[in-house]
Amino acid sequence: MNDKVIIIEELKKNYYLGKVTVEALRGISFTIKDGEFVSIMGPSGSGKSTLMHIIGCLDYPTSGKYLLAGQDITRLNDSQLALFRNQKIGFVFQQFNLLPRTTNLKNVELPLIYSGVSPRKREIMAKGALDEVGLGDRIRHRPGEISGGQRQRVAIARALVNHPSIILADEPTGNLDSKTGLDIMRIIQRLHEEGNTIILVTHEHDIAHFAKRIIHLKDGLIDRDEVIA
Amino acid sequence: MILQSLKIALESLWANKMRSILSMLGIMIGVGAVIAIVSVGTGSTQSVTSSIANLGSNMITVYPRTPRGQLGRISGGGSHEKFTLELAEYIEKFCPSVKRVIPTKSANGLFIFDDMNINGTLLGTDMGYLEVNNYSVDTGRFINEQDNQKRAQVMVLGSDLATDLFDEKNPIGQRVKMNYDGRIYMFEIIGVMERKGSSIAGRLDEQAYIPLSVAMDKITSSRYVSSYIAQALSSEKASNAVKEIENFLIKLLDDENQEKFRLMSQDEILDTVSSVTQTMSLMLGGIAAISLLVGGIGIMNIMLVSVTERTREIGIRKALGAKNRHILFQFLMESLSLSSFGGFIGVGFGWMGAYSLSQYGNWPLVISNISIILAFGFALLIGIFFGLYPAMKAAKLNPVDALRYE
Repeated sequence: MNDKVIIIEELKKNYYLGKVTVEALRGISFTIKDGEFVSIMGPSGSGKSTLMHIIGCLDYPTSGKYLLAGQDITRLNDSQLALFRNQKIGFVFQQFNLLPRTTNLKNVELPLIYSGVSPRKREIMAKGALDEVGLGDRIRHRPGEISGGQRQRVAIARALVNHPSIILADEPTGNLDSKTGLDIMRIIQRLHEEGNTIILVTHEHDIAHFAKRIIHLKDGLIDRDEVIA
Repeated sequence: MILQSLKIALESLWANKMRSILSMLGIMIGVGAVIAIVSVGTGSTQSVTSSIANLGSNMITVYPRTPRGQLGRISGGGSHEKFTLELAEYIEKFCPSVKRVIPTKSANGLFIFDDMNINGTLLGTDMGYLEVNNYSVDTGRFINEQDNQKRAQVMVLGSDLATDLFDEKNPIGQRVKMNYDGRIYMFEIIGVMERKGSSIAGRLDEQAYIPLSVAMDKITSSRYVSSYIAQALSSEKASNAVKEIENFLIKLLDDENQEKFRLMSQDEILDTVSSVTQTMSLMLGGIAAISLLVGGIGIMNIMLVSVTERTREIGIRKALGAKNRHILFQFLMESLSLSSFGGFIGVGFGWMGAYSLSQYGNWPLVISNISIILAFGFALLIGIFFGLYPAMKAAKLNPVDALRYE
């Protein structure tokens, strides 16, 4: 039981747009083990963004069960959910989502600020994370002063810094050229080899194949759960 | 957490310097205006009050009223004929709060020196006039007891009259002719008074002072005086003295409606002046408070814009684990820092404004701590009040929507 970091059963999510009900997820079940590297694939409208938001504790499902690290998140309130995002999940976004007027170091420190780590310890941990992605010499720069690839590496450092249960990467290479994208994927792969659980949401075939398992979504349902040898 | 929020807020304000300064402007001007206006109000009141007090200590002036009549007949309302020298002594005797009563007799005439003719007022009085008017001689001496007894034709000039008549020359020892009612009298100048300005006793600088006996017996040939100047024992007793004199004269003159005499006291004038200045500063203070309010609305505007502009930032912070109250405090701290910085600079502005106005208007610089605390406190309150709505709006944002916001 303990090795299953994510358990999802019959997960449904409806959006209500006026009188129209949009069924984004229509009953999805799967589990992810600790240390796994899973890609979630599907065309746009397949529900993969919705699924990612729920896995990332940014949104509640309409019905079904979602256990993250043994905790049923549907029973948590807003504030507990925020704590879960802070402690259990590291986000890597397509648009990097760094604070533009803040130095890279401060950007990486952000999750630690909200978990109440002391300033000195924060700086040491953030520097360590930036070293890990090879940006130890760019800590005083701002996101606007570095390249796209470097920005995504800062974002990865930020996702790592709190030692989360899962790293959730949403189209991490979507805004990068293919060479830089490959560099980023190599870093993500290395993180997986170091024991991190990684969930990668993408619609690109090549990128999805860095994972050991691909969950294909279609029209809010799991189309195929493919294990790559 | 509050300290952390404050730090984040300050960093964000620093990152948007121009916008921060602009949004502080309203509060700065509001607080500055409140402090400057309150200071100008109290400063000018103090200056007016002290100059009025300076005009005479606890002075009460008693005039006979002009007789009123109908159809060509005087209806017997006048009381000139009751204002005798004896009455002055009676008032002094029967009104315990009155220290002394100085009778005065005034007459208008023409002052003549060389080829200079000036119309002016002659005031017959005695030594006590100086004390009740808080008045003193600049050069020479004032009229004394002997002058009054000997009916000496000596004269002391008010400062303006002295310069008008004698220009740069020394008037002491000079002889001035006085034309009253077609008759000419000779006076020797024995002194010149200090500059004083006006008081309820008249335009002191433009008068000439002569012994009371000369004014009454020689010049006007009258047994009646023009007015009494009464001095209360102390400023606390001034209102008592007014009542005593009133009651005494009402009984003596059988004048229930006070038709035969008129009292004027320093206190009355002070009350009028301070109520006028108080109304003024209240009104101006109200205007300043409105500008403070407008400043607060300005802060709310900027904060609302800032929340919208930073929707994505809020989304990022929430995704990374910021709770609603983290976001609430961050934005609240921003508006609070804006209003308190604005208030702080406003206090400086207000001080500078009050200082330069007091230099210009020649009154003392009075900045009360209460006005600073009040204006600053009000600014903080406005910061919280107008910051709360945008902060709550920010805190309630849904993280998914906030992250999607372009």
